[in-house]
Amino acid sequence: MAQLSDLEYLRLSKGAKFGYKLGRFFTGIPKGIGHFFLKIGQGLKKGAMAVGREVSDIVSTFVHGDWKTKLSFFIMGFGSIARGQILRGLLFLLFEIVFIGYMIMSGGYWLSMLPSLGKVGPSKTYNEDLDVFVTTYNDNSFQILLYGVLTIFFILAFIYTWRVNVRQNKMSEMILASGKKLKSGREDLHSIVDDQFHKTLLALPMTGIIIFTMLPILFMILVAFTNYDGTHNGYTNSLFTWVGLDNFNTMFSWTGGAGGTQSYAATFFEVLLWTLIWAFFATFTNYFLGMFVAMAINKKGIKFKKGWRTILVLTIAIPQFISLLYVSKMFAKNGIINGFLLDMGWISEAIDFFGDASRPWLARVTVILINIWIGIPYLMLITTGILMNIPADLYESAKIDGASGWKQYTKITLPYMLFVTGPYLLTSFTGNMNNFNVIYLLTAGAPTNAAASSASGSVGYTDLLITWLFKITTGAESKYYMASVIGILVFVVVALISLIVYNLMPSIKNEEDFR
Amino acid sequence: MSEATAKRHMGLKASRAVTNTAIHVLLIVISIIWLIPFVCIVLQSFRVENSGQVGYVLPKVWGTDNYVNLFQTDFPRWYTNTFIAAIITAILQTVIVLCMSYTLSRFRFKMRQPLMKFMLILGMFPGMLSMIILYRVLKDLGLTQENATPGLILVYVASSGMGYYVSKGFFDTIPMSLDEAARIDGATRAQILYKIILPLSKPIVIYTVLTAFMGPWGDYVFARYIAFGASAGKNVAVGLYDWLSKDQISNNYTMFCAGGVLVALPVTILFMFLQKYYVEGVTGGAVKG
Amino acid sequence: MASVKLTDVKKIYDNKVTAVHDFNLEIKDKEFVVFVGPSGCGKSTTLRMIAGLEDISGGTLEIDGEVVNDLQPKDRDIAMVFQNYALYPHMTVYDNIAFSLRLKKVPEDEVYERVTNAAQILGITEYLTRKPRALSGGQRQRVAIGRAMVRNAKVFLMDEPLSNLDAKLRNQMRAEIILLRQKLDTTFIYVTHDQTEAMTLGDRIVIMKDGYIEQVGTPQEVFDTPVNLFVAGFIGSPQMNFLKAKLVQEGTGYSVEILGAKIPLNEDQVSVLSRKNIRSQEIILGVRPEHTTVLFEKAEGAIECTIDVNEMMGSELHLHLSSANDDKIIVRLPTVDLTKEQRNSLAYGNKMYITFPAKVMHLFDPETERSLIDG
Repeated sequence: MAQLSDLEYLRLSKGAKFGYKLGRFFTGIPKGIGHFFLKIGQGLKKGAMAVGREVSDIVSTFVHGDWKTKLSFFIMGFGSIARGQILRGLLFLLFEIVFIGYMIMSGGYWLSMLPSLGKVGPSKTYNEDLDVFVTTYNDNSFQILLYGVLTIFFILAFIYTWRVNVRQNKMSEMILASGKKLKSGREDLHSIVDDQFHKTLLALPMTGIIIFTMLPILFMILVAFTNYDGTHNGYTNSLFTWVGLDNFNTMFSWTGGAGGTQSYAATFFEVLLWTLIWAFFATFTNYFLGMFVAMAINKKGIKFKKGWRTILVLTIAIPQFISLLYVSKMFAKNGIINGFLLDMGWISEAIDFFGDASRPWLARVTVILINIWIGIPYLMLITTGILMNIPADLYESAKIDGASGWKQYTKITLPYMLFVTGPYLLTSFTGNMNNFNVIYLLTAGAPTNAAASSASGSVGYTDLLITWLFKITTGAESKYYMASVIGILVFVVVALISLIVYNLMPSIKNEEDFR
Repeated sequence: MSEATAKRHMGLKASRAVTNTAIHVLLIVISIIWLIPFVCIVLQSFRVENSGQVGYVLPKVWGTDNYVNLFQTDFPRWYTNTFIAAIITAILQTVIVLCMSYTLSRFRFKMRQPLMKFMLILGMFPGMLSMIILYRVLKDLGLTQENATPGLILVYVASSGMGYYVSKGFFDTIPMSLDEAARIDGATRAQILYKIILPLSKPIVIYTVLTAFMGPWGDYVFARYIAFGASAGKNVAVGLYDWLSKDQISNNYTMFCAGGVLVALPVTILFMFLQKYYVEGVTGGAVKG
Repeated sequence: MASVKLTDVKKIYDNKVTAVHDFNLEIKDKEFVVFVGPSGCGKSTTLRMIAGLEDISGGTLEIDGEVVNDLQPKDRDIAMVFQNYALYPHMTVYDNIAFSLRLKKVPEDEVYERVTNAAQILGITEYLTRKPRALSGGQRQRVAIGRAMVRNAKVFLMDEPLSNLDAKLRNQMRAEIILLRQKLDTTFIYVTHDQTEAMTLGDRIVIMKDGYIEQVGTPQEVFDTPVNLFVAGFIGSPQMNFLKAKLVQEGTGYSVEILGAKIPLNEDQVSVLSRKNIRSQEIILGVRPEHTTVLFEKAEGAIECTIDVNEMMGSELHLHLSSANDDKIIVRLPTVDLTKEQRNSLAYGNKMYITFPAKVMHLFDPETERSLIDG
């Protein structure tokens, strides 16, 4: 779609303007995607060039360096020690010793087993003396995968440290050549609370994140390419091994299994669709109703403003599992809601809100409604602050221009709110896609979707991808590899949505700049 | 003033009064809807005549039997587990989050942007995925089942660096020139942190402590997975959840209510006192994105 | 109490933008130097490099003969006053001023001595126990100055210290800074975008634009002999008028032709021009508003203009005029000598005549924008 000049655009009718924008957005997508891949390409090129530079720098350091530097290529930290920076040098040396020791003791083994994930499984032998079968455990696929990955990380860390060691030698030579002094151990120690303080502060948090978040995720991504499940746990029953893209093929195959069971792909897209519907409604119902409540409380002439807010805010304090579990029981067949409705004579038979597989939308709508109950206090809080920040003169000038209350809302309040809370809405949307607590504690996925459950473990009509994933890992067959595939797909969906919205947001900003 | 304008003015006043009354009524209704479940929970926790689920709210026989019975179960153990986890997590998580957010807000180092992008991408993976491996690793370390609480704390604290957004947003609002003035005055980076920035960050420190404290009370998934099967390692969420399972609900429903009240009590009281800071943190965080 | 020497100092940001190009300047001990220029000219960046708040991308910075490029701010022995004061909000005025001394582990008695002494000089003794929040803008500025003062630093840096104050307070504080300078007797480097501040405060002024130094000189020098169009336009208020004109060489003499008027240049100007071997050419003629004479009647050598706007300033009028070839001209006209008729004639659309002598004329090359005579 061709771009119009500003003046041409202004002449369009309202509908045409919208159509134009929409058209521009969709015609922009291929370009955006192209741009994305172009960037990846550029990144790769840059990376390759950087590696080239590093290598040539290393070589030239070796060629031009003095004997201390040259020796440091093999004995890390030697140069530092020889030049008087004992502390630094010892740390380098220690790291090298630990690394070599580790590689000899166990690292080499893990690394060598990584391609096969173990060769000898557990074996049963008959012990005549005791008259029982004794199982001998051998290789452990799980540990091989885990420690294999760890070892690779350790090697990368070693290469990096070695590189730092080389660069330090070069720098030291340069500094000494220019007649300056090197930093003493004391200065080094001092710098960890001053100019290198950021490294000190980040050390602990980043270690935690790398070990407890990144490594597990990496591990689980790898699991998606294995057959790790309840019957192949890698140690006590049977080894697991690499299966390539088999699991992804299963996930995306539209042919059902034997006995007319539903295919994984069909189940996946069914659950994905509901996940997106849920995330959309959960995000926007809360957003608009929360804003509405906030505006109602903010309105001039409303009494006990603080009181209303406190009542709502306090409900946030109560741990969700209590309120959600309790509410889910309120909606049970023999719960309070049904009791009340029966007493009043409004219904003659108890409604099975979460158990009626013939009416999946009843459960779904109920879940969305209950989520409003959960979410409004929170959004009321968020929006209250922002609403109060809208400059009063915007409203005053709108009033003088003759805007009605509704017009003021759509022309001032809403654009302002969307502008300020845009990023929040995005994180809230992706957060809701992964909103395990609300779904699991309310319905645990119920009512059961019999067709979908036939092939892929128990799946209910209110199950999100994330609860489905959980059920698979905790289910009877424990198909961890399928859970991993779903996890990766969740990532892809979330990343795609974020990417599109982020690329969209600057345009929103330009058009409605309130700052 | 002519009669017509007088009428118009009256009309404006009257319609304003009507809307305001309507809004008041609406707010009352909203408050009732929001409070009902909690009122019901409290009422049912005092019900003696039937320990299962019933279709009415007001107990027929009142008594504290449910609370007394709680102490014959593993509930005190679960409560202690959760409480300890909450306290330790609150302290350590606050330290880690503040380190992270202060660094990302104040320092301009080469890896800053890549680091933030890295964590953004990491955050897009469902955290649940790492449960399986964490369980097995913790099991090797002997931190599961009965010893689940230290294991849980480790998991909570270790990944808490990812939640730096809100406090970084707060730190970003403290002018950089304060740091610069302090640097010229001769302060090291560490001195700037504890002499200038921290004293100015009371609201966000309290917010971080509060949210970190509240987290473990509501965690169900990880707690269940790591305590797997061992009652002594459960936290309140896992323990109470099981009381509502199909085979237990008819006996333990009222006890669940009593337990729920006891769990909600400390958190709610704490929250009531620190509400102001929570509101500040939440509002600021949303605006910063 | 130290000299500062910048040699080829550069600032290049990560995104390859160069904020400061080869900056060369030697600041003498106890000198008061002002960096002035429009926003984004690199003046603050230069100051922050001297302070150590920004890395120096190239060149060397010496304080008192020592190269300090790689020193932390605290090791450079400098004091700095920030534009937004940067007072620590949670500390009292006393603690604010004492902060740096306490970090240096100065004994409390001496801290007390020095803080109260500074407070007395600045007239803020009665506010010592207050928090910055409870102070007015002017008082906060004094505290900020006090905080810098107690350190007895070698160099005193000030980054637009008055720009957050209102006009009246600004004038008052300006006078106080002059007093302060006499009391402290140390080296000052002062950054501002306000040429009046620069003119009134500085021993020397460094005029910057787009990361380059345009001119360095005493206030008198930069006012009298601006080396290019930018400096000429930047210094002085209202701004210098720029008119299209022609430089004509006639034998050994030169004259300027503008709108039929012909003004011969004086001896000094002629000697420079002939030494530089300059021929007849188009020029831009610069004349300051205060150097023009306004005539109500047509006269020989006077330029005819039309009145656009007449601004009453009290003691004088600012007349905005247009010449026949549409140059915009501002002239200052003292009101004291004007008759009532003359005043009435200064209405929109009426004709006026202006003249100026050769010695107040600044001649600029339209291509290079440099002065043909000065620099």
